[in-house]
Amino acid sequence: MNARLGTIGRYALLVTVSLVSLAPLLWMVASAFKPGADVIARPFAFDPARFTVQNFHQMLHTIPIGTGFRNTALVVAIKGGLTMVFCPLAGFAFAKYEFPGKRLLFATVLATLMLPTLVLLIPLLLEMSELHWVSTFQALILPGAVDAFGVFWMRQTIAAIPDELIDAARVDGASDLRTYRSVVVPVIRPGLAALGVLTFINIYNDFVWPVVAVNDEQHQTLQVMLAALAQNIRAGQLGADWTSVWGQLLAASTVAALPVLLVFILLQRHLIKGVMAGSLKG
Amino acid sequence: MTMATMTAPAQATEAQVRGTAPVRRRRRRTSPVPYLFVAPFLVVFLGFSAYPIGFALQLSFTNWHGAGVLRFTGLANYRYLLTSSDFWGSMVNSGLLWLLVVPAQVLLALVVAVALSRSRLRGPFSASLIAPFVTPLVAMAQVWIILFDKDFGAVNHALAAVGLPAAGWLTTASGARITVALLVLWRTTGYAVILLMAGLTSIPAQVYEAARLDGAGAWTQFWRITVPLTTRTVSFVVVIGTLTVFQLFAEPFVLTGGGPFNATRTAGLYLYKHVTNSDLGLGAANSMLLVVMVFALSLASIRLLRSREER
Repeated sequence: MNARLGTIGRYALLVTVSLVSLAPLLWMVASAFKPGADVIARPFAFDPARFTVQNFHQMLHTIPIGTGFRNTALVVAIKGGLTMVFCPLAGFAFAKYEFPGKRLLFATVLATLMLPTLVLLIPLLLEMSELHWVSTFQALILPGAVDAFGVFWMRQTIAAIPDELIDAARVDGASDLRTYRSVVVPVIRPGLAALGVLTFINIYNDFVWPVVAVNDEQHQTLQVMLAALAQNIRAGQLGADWTSVWGQLLAASTVAALPVLLVFILLQRHLIKGVMAGSLKG
Repeated sequence: MTMATMTAPAQATEAQVRGTAPVRRRRRRTSPVPYLFVAPFLVVFLGFSAYPIGFALQLSFTNWHGAGVLRFTGLANYRYLLTSSDFWGSMVNSGLLWLLVVPAQVLLALVVAVALSRSRLRGPFSASLIAPFVTPLVAMAQVWIILFDKDFGAVNHALAAVGLPAAGWLTTASGARITVALLVLWRTTGYAVILLMAGLTSIPAQVYEAARLDGAGAWTQFWRITVPLTTRTVSFVVVIGTLTVFQLFAEPFVLTGGGPFNATRTAGLYLYKHVTNSDLGLGAANSMLLVVMVFALSLASIRLLRSREER
């Protein structure tokens, strides 16, 4: 009897916590399709008959969200590409080679591991203004590419590959890069997939550095654009028509969350593994 | 331009590797290959971590405003910060958020992780718990603005429905702190649960069985077995939570802009204020103080990570 009560309590807790986790997301998506006036008057009423895409229409006129998406896509593609190519290579060197200076270099990786963007914010900004890189794509892309966590994690993953496998390829006369491609990569494919999902989410959601590095609308990433929208609303620059402003805000947030939610739903398995490795930035 | 500069080293690497790679024993010390593999990381590290920190350290002893003459002012910036009520005020704000977030998070995450580790359907439950963590922070902060609005927000709507008075979630100092804390808790608790799950599954089931035979109830088992045997994971979660809270930036930036009355101006937002004020020398000094603080915390967490691995 007691055990059964415990089980019921356990599932009640899990269901409650899961609902609390999902509720704001579901509320955001569902409310984005409601007429703006309804969001304010009846926040918990969802009548499919009244669903509309009017908020999305208006939002597209207020903010150049297409530019935001394009900029984010560019940064994700190049910065993510650099990370995916060079982190595993560095990890391979640390896991399977002996070379003078290896300990020192790896200590550098560990030291950088938890150096947060916040601490680098002003130093990087000073460097960017010295290089005349403020509001450029290279400012958004290069700092933080090939990050220490990726190197560290790939090192741990590759270290688990038996040495014999790699030595066998070498004895067969394969070059180092060939060995990497035909022996290491196939074995660590799941790890690479997890690194890919996490890298995508981290770069897509990144806000702290982009908001400081970019001052013009032309280079704003999607997240920076969204935050600017919220600031304008707080400053009352979009007018006092709350019904339209809130609707637009919800529509923009939904559109911005969509790509990560899709990746999350499709590639969840890889993601949880990555989180277990302790890798998402808070 | 960027593309060209970035792909060039890659091609060089490949060409060199091809040209100089006969059968190579791993322990031969002259091989340039591992250095080439590590080079891209090293270039980015030197160019965009080490150099800027060194540069900022230098500027932290100046009155640099982004333009004009650079004047060496010695320790003036540090002296100013360490005696400034704004600096300490931001530290106190971050500290208060820590109190609101970390203890609640650890306790809640531990209870949920215990429940989760003994349940079926772990997959779907973990997925729903981790979903908030992957959604864009900025988007969710906007949703929070709407949900917690004093006059029209859904939260006050719900409070009114059960006869409670409306609260100034974003308009009063304590309300704003709680609202920011709720956003952080909502976003990151699932992450803590997943980390704790890893620690919990390492406790052998026999330990619990033995305790049950001795008549220990669920509560006793939780405090006497689960908590002590997951101390390391729990401390790791505490460190991660502490680092998160002391680096809070986007949440208050979007949600409150640091207000009302600077109640949510965290260490991160105060740092950003130097940028908007063009007090870059001061900002550099403030960054250096944060480097010291974060490094102390990071060393502690790396030590914890190591001991976790050894186990």
